[in-house]
Amino acid sequence: MAKTWLLIKTMVKMQLSTAGKSDLEKAGYGCLVLFAIPLGLLLLSILNSMIDTLYTSLAPTGNENVILGLLFVMMTFIFLFVSLSTVLSSFYFAEDVESFIPLPFQPYQIVMGKAAVPFLSLYGVNTLVLLPSLIIYGIHSASGPVYYIFSLVLWLVAPVVPFVLTAATIMFIMRFANIAKNKDRTKIIMGSLGFAFAIGVNILFRLDSGGTGGGMSEMVLEQNALLGLVTKFFPTAYFSSIALTSPTSIIGSLNFLAMIALSFAGILLFMTIGQQWYFKGVLGLSGGTRSTFKENDLKRRTEKRQVLWSLLLKEWKTIVRTPTFFTQILIQSLFFPVFILILLLLQSSGSLSTMASRINGWDDSTSLLVLFAFTIIGLGVNPASFSSISREGKSWFNNLYLPIPAPLIVTSKLLVSFFLNVLSLLIISIAILFLFEVSLSVWFIWFLASIVASWITSIIGFLLDFHQPKLNWTDEREVFKGRMIGFFALAAEALVFGLLLILLWAVPLFQSLTFASVFMVVYLTICVLLGQWYVGKVTKEKFSTIH
Amino acid sequence: MIEINRITKTFPGKTAVKDLSLTIPDGKIFGFLGPNGAGKSTTIKMMTGILPIDEGSITMNGKDISKEVLAAKQMIGYVPDRSDIFLRLKGIEYLNFIADVYDVPQEVRETKISELTKQFGIYEALDDHIQTYSHGMKQKIVVSGVLLHDPDIWILDEPLTGLDPKSSYMLKEMMRDHAAKGKIVFFSTHVLEVVEQLCDEVAIINQGHVQFQGNMKEMKQQFQEDQNLEQLFLELTQNG
Repeated sequence: MAKTWLLIKTMVKMQLSTAGKSDLEKAGYGCLVLFAIPLGLLLLSILNSMIDTLYTSLAPTGNENVILGLLFVMMTFIFLFVSLSTVLSSFYFAEDVESFIPLPFQPYQIVMGKAAVPFLSLYGVNTLVLLPSLIIYGIHSASGPVYYIFSLVLWLVAPVVPFVLTAATIMFIMRFANIAKNKDRTKIIMGSLGFAFAIGVNILFRLDSGGTGGGMSEMVLEQNALLGLVTKFFPTAYFSSIALTSPTSIIGSLNFLAMIALSFAGILLFMTIGQQWYFKGVLGLSGGTRSTFKENDLKRRTEKRQVLWSLLLKEWKTIVRTPTFFTQILIQSLFFPVFILILLLLQSSGSLSTMASRINGWDDSTSLLVLFAFTIIGLGVNPASFSSISREGKSWFNNLYLPIPAPLIVTSKLLVSFFLNVLSLLIISIAILFLFEVSLSVWFIWFLASIVASWITSIIGFLLDFHQPKLNWTDEREVFKGRMIGFFALAAEALVFGLLLILLWAVPLFQSLTFASVFMVVYLTICVLLGQWYVGKVTKEKFSTIH
Repeated sequence: MIEINRITKTFPGKTAVKDLSLTIPDGKIFGFLGPNGAGKSTTIKMMTGILPIDEGSITMNGKDISKEVLAAKQMIGYVPDRSDIFLRLKGIEYLNFIADVYDVPQEVRETKISELTKQFGIYEALDDHIQTYSHGMKQKIVVSGVLLHDPDIWILDEPLTGLDPKSSYMLKEMMRDHAAKGKIVFFSTHVLEVVEQLCDEVAIINQGHVQFQGNMKEMKQQFQEDQNLEQLFLELTQNG
């Protein structure tokens, strides 16, 4: 046990260390904390009003524990979703596992160490949502001290079972499914699964939301029947809810003990599965496949190309072939537009369609403003832009000795992130043209403005990364993890586009589509020119000093 | 000719290279020796444009690396001390990328890629990602990339590390051929036997200073004739 504890401590320290973080990043964390305070208060008031409303409507029929059931079910989903990606990356994608395997540790000890950070990260959301909700519920139900003691323990054990289930499933897939033959391909498939999971759950919920209500009235009358329905597939949620509904009764205590026992069994199961399957899965991963070069391919494969085109291909291949970049950059930037498109196609009477029909009623300049704002928020920050330089890692020096003009390298980087933005934009543009049914002129102006805005976001992300690149990484995930750059990019974009949107909204002259369009063109052109000028300036001054 | 003129490089809290001057004439294989942390890599990085020079200047065949950057770089073929570069590209993609960068004509690149990679025994693996290569194979693909554009000046940082005996022999022969054509091979190494076998001239550097520059004969004359290179090296670098 001492060795396991030592491993856990070491791995947590290694992953959470602030060593190597710049002062700017540390300051960023400070800013984030400041931002988190009002957001936390907002979240608290939302939770409070939700629980209050539900409690008032459910309490008369004695079904108030449905709130607890819903809460625990929701938390289970969140835990499953969050742990899917963190377990995958920590257990299988992090290259550091190779340095632990030769050491005299049991597989279960290594897996416990590897689980520490993903598990701890669940407590972030656990503390943010479950803990205050349980307290708010306790206040509403005027519960005694036993409720709060039970709450605290249940809060502590809540992530265990979902985490174990995710980890066990992943270890099973990696051990027995044949996808583990190619490490990179596995990473890409599993990485995309997280997003498919998010979209899938959403679709399921939407498809399932109609058609209930027939036997509802009877269930309302029967004790705990509604809770049973809500927690049908989630025994942990059921046990926890019953335990907290009547903490002082024997039934409550038994359910509480069942939950503790289940969590304890979960940990044992996790250790056993880890011992049996972890090494077999992780050791089976190979770096890639081997093939034989074909003689007649040589002519085609050695075709001469423009250097810029060559650089672009190199950037693109690096993104597509590096699992972390593939999921963090490509999948993530396509996630939102695809998500929106699927939702719109699935729902003919949902909230987005309501929004669409509302847009039809607006005048052209308002539609343009709303659509543009929607695009800016939707496309958000482009991970390809703020990882432009950092993606290269320790290979950055290649750009310094090869006889390639620095502006050409910079242009290739800007073009790649721009291209990715445009890809997302094309998907959104289909949705806007066909589903929102805006006029063609509005669509055209919106599309042009969004294209230019994409170039601006590429410049913003690039410049931020250029000033504070993270080249000294050992694992590609470090390019995105624990860096405040996404937040800074968002802030910079809010500043640039926020001003444009406010002016478009507030100045009466811009109620006319023509004036609004002209102003947008002028404003965005000025931004592009300023951005290009600054990119040129810093490239000249700083390019060769980046190390 | 390479002319390094009184260069200095300072990092926070440490001067890595101080007032270092070297002249490397054409047609020579020049060995650059020194213990770990002596300033070899820093010097090479300044020669190739990777690190900016704080003071002094470096010219490659008359082109200043800090001023006529691209013209100077065009003349250099550099093999870095680490071969884990462009890992996500396939061997053939890397070589074609290098050929594009150095503007190697279509016919030349096709013939040379085939020749070089067959000589090094990596032709069959050209369609694999460099990431799947062994250390030696990575080294060979990088060396092939350098030879592809036939630069006047080769700068090789520990080029023989990881190469199998056959490839190592081949590279040494190529270095000799290159120098015989009146061009320059500048390389750093820790392997003293290689220096004795190969070099026309050597420089030994320690703590950022050149301790000795000359040909092998001069070096042996300066010290006792019966000393081997290892003893000489240790003597030169122990007090620096």
